[in-house]
Amino acid sequence: MNPKSRQWLPKSAVIAIFLLPLLLISPKTYVTLTISGIAMGMLLFLVASGFSLIFGFLSVLNLAHGALFAWGAYISFSAFSFINQWTGWGGSNSIFSNILIFLLALVAAGIGVAILGVVTERLVIRPVYGSHLFQIFITVGAMTVMEELIRIVWGPNDEPMPVPVSFIGSWDIFDVVVSKYPLIAIVIGLILYLIVFTILRRTRLGMIVRAGVENPEMVQVMGHNIYRYFTGVFAAGSALAAIGGGMWATFVKSINPAMGGEVIVFALIVAIIGGLGSMTGSVVGALMVGLSYNYVAYLIPKGALGITMLLLVIILSIRPTGLFPEGT
Amino acid sequence: MEADLVAEPILKVEGIHTFIGKHHVLQGVSFDVYPGRVTVLLGRNGAGKTTTLRSIMGLLSPSQGIILLRNQAIQNMRSFDIARLGIGFVPEDRGLFNLLTVEENFRVAMFQEDKSTQQRLETILEIFPDLKRFWKAKAGILSGGQKQMLAIARPLVNNNELLLIDEPSKGLAPIVIDHLIDAIQKLQKQTMIILVEQNFYMASSLGNDFYIFDDGRTVHKGQMEELVANEEMKKRYLGISG
Amino acid sequence: MNKDSLNPVQRFRLKEKEGRFRSPYFFLKVLLLAFFVFTPYLFHSFQIVDVVLKIIIFSTLVASYDIILGYTGIVSLGHVMYFGIGSYFVGIFMGKLGLISYGYLALAILIAVLISGVLSVLIGFFSLRIRAIFFAMVTLAFMEFTFILASQLRFITGGDDGISFNLPGIMAIGYRLGRFLGIEFTGRMTNYYLILLVSLILFLLMVRFVHSPVGRVLQSIRDNEQRSVALGYRTYLFQVMASSFASCVAAMTGGCYAIWVCYVSPSSSLSVSIMLDVLLMVIVGGMGTLYGGILGAAFLMITGAFLPKLQVLVAALLPGVPFAVRLSERWLFYFGLLFILIVYFFPKGMVGTAQEIISRRKGE
Repeated sequence: MNPKSRQWLPKSAVIAIFLLPLLLISPKTYVTLTISGIAMGMLLFLVASGFSLIFGFLSVLNLAHGALFAWGAYISFSAFSFINQWTGWGGSNSIFSNILIFLLALVAAGIGVAILGVVTERLVIRPVYGSHLFQIFITVGAMTVMEELIRIVWGPNDEPMPVPVSFIGSWDIFDVVVSKYPLIAIVIGLILYLIVFTILRRTRLGMIVRAGVENPEMVQVMGHNIYRYFTGVFAAGSALAAIGGGMWATFVKSINPAMGGEVIVFALIVAIIGGLGSMTGSVVGALMVGLSYNYVAYLIPKGALGITMLLLVIILSIRPTGLFPEGT
Repeated sequence: MEADLVAEPILKVEGIHTFIGKHHVLQGVSFDVYPGRVTVLLGRNGAGKTTTLRSIMGLLSPSQGIILLRNQAIQNMRSFDIARLGIGFVPEDRGLFNLLTVEENFRVAMFQEDKSTQQRLETILEIFPDLKRFWKAKAGILSGGQKQMLAIARPLVNNNELLLIDEPSKGLAPIVIDHLIDAIQKLQKQTMIILVEQNFYMASSLGNDFYIFDDGRTVHKGQMEELVANEEMKKRYLGISG
Repeated sequence: MNKDSLNPVQRFRLKEKEGRFRSPYFFLKVLLLAFFVFTPYLFHSFQIVDVVLKIIIFSTLVASYDIILGYTGIVSLGHVMYFGIGSYFVGIFMGKLGLISYGYLALAILIAVLISGVLSVLIGFFSLRIRAIFFAMVTLAFMEFTFILASQLRFITGGDDGISFNLPGIMAIGYRLGRFLGIEFTGRMTNYYLILLVSLILFLLMVRFVHSPVGRVLQSIRDNEQRSVALGYRTYLFQVMASSFASCVAAMTGGCYAIWVCYVSPSSSLSVSIMLDVLLMVIVGGMGTLYGGILGAAFLMITGAFLPKLQVLVAALLPGVPFAVRLSERWLFYFGLLFILIVYFFPKGMVGTAQEIISRRKGE
């Protein structure tokens, strides 16, 4: 495909998804759905981007990514409960305390899973660099172990996820129902995206990572200890998934040990649609999936997953490697 | 000239055997690189020249043999450590980061972004003015010749004493090759170069010493002037006639 | 045929064929078959018979997966989808539609096999041209999709609860054929031998396929795809062929499974965890060795049946601290660790490593 068409396809696809539903849905419902759609997109972006970045940079297929997501949810669950016990910020009516405890829980999840990620990369992933097949095998084993570890530490049952008081409910703006939490999720998601983007585009570290996505061997030859970067990127990608986990749990208000499995498929589809190894692709893909899912869920309740698969099929037929090339 | 030959070689490669998978690609490679000289590795395709460079650079681990850089054994070191000792590498495919700008390509190559590196950069940009013009452009849009210039210029920002260059003239038009030869001749003053080159014109213009590879072994060595005159050797090992 | 007039390839093939019946492996296989045939007589506990039959069913499934993974070299993560399709068609015909008869049973399986074949061809055409790793993820996505489809479309599939059903004629659970050589021949027994027979046939078919000219081309594609293309083979047609053959076998296996347990549900026939089990079995047994599937299946089924008992024992010995209890309870945790270690130390699987050791000894 010539370069010009490379650019207009993803843009027109997103615009189409944004605008088509207006033909079928009333504007007010449209706004509500769009907001939930973007929120879902943000959460999917967090999980998918970690996976995509790890694949792009380390060339590693990490099927345990979903388990890291679940760990994130559980750590933020515990952190939240713990902090709330001491400070009561979760239950208070002050928006500031609510936001503070929420952010702290997410940060705890991010740090905790980053550490878990470093351990995983060193022990489980390093031995299987270079063989996608064995990565699949060994990460499946790691996923089982991580999931079971959750069951051991926290118990095998579903738990309700505590939500800060002021996040519940919605506002009524000009007759449009705007749920509170999705908006907050969008804001946090955007901030995280900007942080990742800035690091990638404006720092030396990010520059080396982007170079490594294109050509890891050359980066090594230039004197950079690529193994340290591998560990770092793996930890960062896992941390993103963890934060996504914490936010997702707050969204659906519950956690269960197998929650990784449900989301990983969506994240996988988002990563494939967007193009593995591309941050921009993850954002665009996530928005497409999030929005289409919500619109279709409203119009044809059972068809929501179908639209996601359909999107996958269509995009892979036109652009087998995904919308954006590696490293963008 | 005489005095240089008596000096110690900075890089000594002795008896290297390297396997790629099951293939015994290098079956005894030995050569020395002297300061201030361009050493050219010649030979047919598949003779093991690129593999040799990669072995020196640590991308492949030799199963036997020694590589000494100033009497330090580097054959088992990791690539990034070898690079930091002062060896730059310009691979056959150039190894450019096409999605990064020319500026970023240089910055990734820098060991540290300090004053002396900056100064070296300015000197380099004088030798390769095109790169200054396209400073903020993505490396992918450069022409073939410019890409080659960038590939060679990049490792020079560090105080590298040895540069490994693999087939730089590949796919370039003759006039661009002349440019390249010019640029490399300017570089030669500060840096030792090991050049792998199929293009005999380029090899003979730049090279001082040569080594001929055949079937994974170094089979002949000598001074470039001798080789230029020796039709029989050229035909036998390089397939060049006339 | 005069031996001297044969070319090297023909001579090699002839030697292989002749050697087949004399090799020690052959006797091992016959022994194993005998074991399977006589299991209901040797073990009167139904639980053991159940485990053995599940080993038989899953060996066949794993062998079909091995054809794709080990012989053709394609990584698919959605193979169990076809297994599920086979199970579901049997379940829907017998259960939801209530068409309980031999004819409909055969029809159900036939339709399932056809759909699986066509589906795998479609997916193959669509995604084998993209990078291998994409194929893995796309097939995973498709399987998950089917899973969710099965849970949502209650009116056809019975949703998450699944469909319980009965079987026709002599296959029905309650049916009694009378005593035969010392044991009571219920419908269950009939099904046991029926499934054993079908699995045997399928297994032999797979072995034949792998040793056939087509099978050899596949192995050459796996080993060196570029060379195969250079030699003129339309590699990706062969890959699609192998993939559809394997899916048809998987569908049949799924049908057998449904017949045995008389029940289908998303989690029992279509879930990712079954796919992971199959992966495990392939690794433990070894890729590229059809018989490794038997070992892998045996390993998994036996530990699956045995470990929980062990865990109850251990839990009884430990104090009642919830954490400690849970630590001993989650045998899957240790299993996962064990699995990682196996991948680490036996990348060729048990059968594969054994084969390697044996061939190395022969070389010496």
